[in-house]
Amino acid sequence: MVLAGGLLGSSLREVVVSLLPPSPFPVANLTANLIGSFFLGWLVARRERHSATGLAISFWGIGVLGSFTTFSGFSVAALDLMRTGRLPAAAGYVAASVIGGLFSTRTGLRLGDRR
Amino acid sequence: MSLVVAAAGALGAVCRYLIGGLMQSRVGWEFPVGTLVVNLAGSFAMGLIVASSSGRGWSVVAVGFLGGFTTFSTWMVETLRLGLPSPRAVLNVAATLAGGLATAGLAYLLVG
Repeated sequence: MVLAGGLLGSSLREVVVSLLPPSPFPVANLTANLIGSFFLGWLVARRERHSATGLAISFWGIGVLGSFTTFSGFSVAALDLMRTGRLPAAAGYVAASVIGGLFSTRTGLRLGDRR
Repeated sequence: MSLVVAAAGALGAVCRYLIGGLMQSRVGWEFPVGTLVVNLAGSFAMGLIVASSSGRGWSVVAVGFLGGFTTFSTWMVETLRLGLPSPRAVLNVAATLAGGLATAGLAYLLVG
């Protein structure tokens, strides 16, 4: 389940990367991470309301969304911006990812918590 | 090629599930140490690959593996589940963020 989900999640991330225009700012990574965080929040809230099964968590949560979002891509992209002297862009990327990620996850949790 | 990369990502997801889960159950803390360890290890490895061999065939596959191995969304959900702005939630954000940058930076320094 995790393997199959990971295949789908990794493929979806490649699709996002190929759809978005190449840019010095890691916008594809940011997009995938924010969207994935929203849906994982939603899924976890559904799980806690017992309408999502453990199987759904393994496939969608750990597999698809876990692989769709990436932390190593985030940290290396942020480090690259710093190393090349683009400190405002690095700070903006980190802030947008973390604050945006927490916000989109919380939104997902709240929506999933509704009936 | 993209299917190979996706397959590597799927393998990464399984490794995350096994290693993160094992770590978490061994330690037995409420703090999400499994995700932390996986993300820091993955950042270090990603730093090594990007600094040493960006663009080569095998490195694309390795990057795919690490993309599936590390996870951003789980970090976010676990942080909120610790109850932001509790000290533990803030610690989870700070430790992951600082640790991820530090391990990737260390990898760059090692490759030189």
